[in-house]
Amino acid sequence: MKTQINLFTTAFVAMTLLAGCGKKKAPGDPKGDSSNGGAPVKVTKLAKVELDSVEEVRSFYEADPEFFRIKTTADIPTDLKWEDGSSEKVFASPKAKRGGTLNTFTGDWPRTLRFVGPDASGSFRQYILDSNALILVESHPQSDGYYPSIAKRWAVGADKKTVYFELDPDARYSDGEPIRVTDFFFHFYFMRSKHIKAPWYNDYYDNKKFKNITLYDTRTLSITYYKAKPDVVEKVSIRPVPEHHYEEIDEDFLKDYQWEFEPTAGPYEVLEENVNDGVAITLTRVPNWWADKKRFQKNRYNPDKIRVTVVREPAKVFELFRKGELDWHGLSLPEYWHEKLPNDSSEVMKGYIHKVKFYNEIPVPTWGMRINCSMPLLDNQNIRQGLHHAMNWALVNKEIFYGDFERQQTMADGYGKRSHPTVRVREFSVEKAEVAFAKAGFIRRGADGILRNAVGKRLSFTISTGYKRFTDVLTVLKQQAAKAGVELNLEILELTAGWKKTNEKKHEISFGGLNNSVELYPRFFEPYHSYNAYKEEGDKLYNADGSLRSGITPKPDTNNATLTADRDLDKLIKQYREAEDLDEITRLGHALIQRLHDHAGYLPAWSKPWYRVGYWRWVKWPDDFNVKQSRDWDEFHVHWIDPAAKEETQAAKKSGKTFPPVIKTYDQYKLKR
Amino acid sequence: MHWKLNPITARKLKRFRSIRRGYWSFLLLGGSLLVSLFGELLVNDQALVVRHNGQWFFPAVADSYPIKWIYTPKEPRTGEFFGEARDKTGQSYSGLVNYRLLKKTWKAAGRESWLIMPLIPHGPDGNTFSEGVKKLSAPSGEHKHFLGTDGAGRDIAARMFYGFRIVMLFALGFTLMVFLIGSTVGCLMGYFGGKVDLLGLRLVEIWANIPFLYMVMIMVSVVPSKVGMTTRVLLLLFIMVVFSWTSMTYYMRASTYKEKARDYVAAAQLLGAGPLRIVFTHLLPNTVSTLVTFLPFTVAVAISSVTALDFLNFGLPEGTPSWGHQLRLGQEYIREKPWIIGSALTAIFLVLTMVTFIGEAVREAFDPKKFSTYE
Repeated sequence: MKTQINLFTTAFVAMTLLAGCGKKKAPGDPKGDSSNGGAPVKVTKLAKVELDSVEEVRSFYEADPEFFRIKTTADIPTDLKWEDGSSEKVFASPKAKRGGTLNTFTGDWPRTLRFVGPDASGSFRQYILDSNALILVESHPQSDGYYPSIAKRWAVGADKKTVYFELDPDARYSDGEPIRVTDFFFHFYFMRSKHIKAPWYNDYYDNKKFKNITLYDTRTLSITYYKAKPDVVEKVSIRPVPEHHYEEIDEDFLKDYQWEFEPTAGPYEVLEENVNDGVAITLTRVPNWWADKKRFQKNRYNPDKIRVTVVREPAKVFELFRKGELDWHGLSLPEYWHEKLPNDSSEVMKGYIHKVKFYNEIPVPTWGMRINCSMPLLDNQNIRQGLHHAMNWALVNKEIFYGDFERQQTMADGYGKRSHPTVRVREFSVEKAEVAFAKAGFIRRGADGILRNAVGKRLSFTISTGYKRFTDVLTVLKQQAAKAGVELNLEILELTAGWKKTNEKKHEISFGGLNNSVELYPRFFEPYHSYNAYKEEGDKLYNADGSLRSGITPKPDTNNATLTADRDLDKLIKQYREAEDLDEITRLGHALIQRLHDHAGYLPAWSKPWYRVGYWRWVKWPDDFNVKQSRDWDEFHVHWIDPAAKEETQAAKKSGKTFPPVIKTYDQYKLKR
Repeated sequence: MHWKLNPITARKLKRFRSIRRGYWSFLLLGGSLLVSLFGELLVNDQALVVRHNGQWFFPAVADSYPIKWIYTPKEPRTGEFFGEARDKTGQSYSGLVNYRLLKKTWKAAGRESWLIMPLIPHGPDGNTFSEGVKKLSAPSGEHKHFLGTDGAGRDIAARMFYGFRIVMLFALGFTLMVFLIGSTVGCLMGYFGGKVDLLGLRLVEIWANIPFLYMVMIMVSVVPSKVGMTTRVLLLLFIMVVFSWTSMTYYMRASTYKEKARDYVAAAQLLGAGPLRIVFTHLLPNTVSTLVTFLPFTVAVAISSVTALDFLNFGLPEGTPSWGHQLRLGQEYIREKPWIIGSALTAIFLVLTMVTFIGEAVREAFDPKKFSTYE
């Protein structure tokens, strides 16, 4: 699936990353009680933190005393309600076996081993950062709760903005150095450095969102977010950046650390001898990994090695998989599931390759059409609503996607109770489309069957996309839309060119998908607030009656690709952003979803509330296969390799012995509508 | 105006006719091209003849060139126009009518109205999902999908047919332009000789060393996205010509060198003819045999280049019926749907073989050794 669902990202990928970025270090961490959770206990008295940073880093901290603070254990509020995730359920399988090698692939040789900076966000990064690095506290993938990671306990302060963390005294980097609270100071120094050439991180971790970090003793720290939020714990859960590894960041950072693997608190590391230039990179399990026996890390990260081979041609990847040289291949694309590896193909029938469809529950990526409301005709709500009725997604799903997908209902599906319970997407209907277009003055059809208005203008729009592989989808939509009297011209571009056009807001209708990070509640400010639509604000943007002024300038490089700008909507989004209580957030969120549905700038396409994978029978899984909030089969590393089964299968391939075929659907997390 | 073939040319043509496989290839290919120009009458989802309520309609004729450019019906031929309020899926039938379905409906209802569909009742862009045909379906006579359907449910035979027309017209246009530029530059270099020749030849050599395929790929990928489909095709043609005209210059330059030493050129010069007049009215017609022998091979190069570029996604715009796109689809399903790549490869093989046969025959017929006489 990695190569298949190639969602465009910039900001969005970075968002998911965040969830994997942050730990702190405390110098000379003394051994304390190493309890594995349980009832909150009194904080042990520990030494005050002494900074041993180099001059440059120290002066960076000193320049911002409001942000970087060092206090004493006595300053920790005594009325904190410490949590340690002990009420959450373990999700790994006790049957898991350690050992073996997982053979997987990546589409291109990684251009760097850095976690940040230019070229760092390639597809290889997931192996070394996204699904490997540990952060302070992790979101539990089966519930709305959290489980301990680098911090063994945490507590939300009375202001609901500050979160206190107590580090696990066992926490170590892969190079054996302990994780110190000061590594979390260093995290901000690192992420704010201009030398890492990562403006998005520079911006995200600046003073606007993060208000303070305080070290109380060698094991306790607190981080303060700019506002109270129900999910503030995950907002401030960052990863430690090993100060002892970098000491300071200078202009040579990119060059010096291009191929240097940053010591990690996670289970897998990249050793220099395992980088086989241009061919493969093998990740090995950190010897005596510190979290090996921890309650929520136990029985996960099972293979001793993960061998990531570079295979550039997708067709070759699939052939290697069929030969058994790669252990798995994504089957989410209908062509793979139905055509290339159908249930009656020999490897499946003989039981060598298993096929699994797993229903997960994550925020639905917004695959759909973004209608540019600043363009002539498209600024008319009736035309937009008519376009919704003119798109035959049901037929596309039936004929192109083999009926595998579901229709996406709103721009915020998959957020549990935060998603709207009743708003339903507009269905394909020639009559309803005609009624809507007629309201905008398009009544008469020309000889070509396309509607025209009184002055003879044809109802014709261009859909731009960077997704060549969905050309067939758009071709079918185009034919169907003609039935409703709209002409759709298709502009199929290269991936980057397609998104560039959308980012520059030069499209009429843009087709594509944006990934959403797994969060508690949806975001509206980025895609629908006028701040992200036009350069003008307030009275310069709106007339007294709330309509848009003329001569306003679209703002490039934001996620508001629908150019939605509506004064009432802006107010509502502001309230939503300021809301601190989950019920209030839910209520306002529903109101926003309803309004945006009426506004009709975003045209939802499909949702895929599952993923599918084919794997060789030596890859083993927990009884219920995977966790609810997994995006992909390997994200939470709950699988394991059974070397005996591998030998058995390879012998069977030669002898012709067969096993019962396994084609399974796990729908325990399927939403019932 | 009365004109007679030059006896030498007449002999050359006679010789060409006597080389049978070349001659037959020429007739077959030329005939196919001619037929494809009126392809809308053969392969189309528009009916050839419709008889309804005492009126005659000829939608396929109206859809064909050049009638399309001069005539459009006043009102749309919608389902409602032919008396059908709802289509098969229950939607209001205010969009253009589907003649295939209309035929079935009329037949089933025993109406007086009737219509005749073309041989292959599919256009290059329509699908037959509503008639129960799946995408990527195997060839079937029942729905007249003789080569099956592609990933968007479109008829592969229809796309191959229109792909042929596009690639042939493209190749002919390419050849014409390459010859025009190449022979002009070559003749001028040969005629003027000296410094013009020396400098011109160096420039041509430099230009010829720019790798054609890479340049076309680079140039095509930077075409701004707002450029329309037709312009993109013409632009592709132009870019290909710009990087391909050089090979002709060498031959034309040599022939011109040879010809200009002959007496009729001196005579023309004495009569006061200017260089352009001499080059275009005297030299060019006399070097035409060189040109003609290269013609079929240039066509073959054009066909294979544009197909290769399409295959690599740098050729004709997505959505245009094209053999290269068909090859790409076929390669994707080489294991599961071998007929897709099979039909594309067969078509390319047949056309290129015929072009090569023609080329051989032309070269044989125009061989100067057989006809040149030197005083």
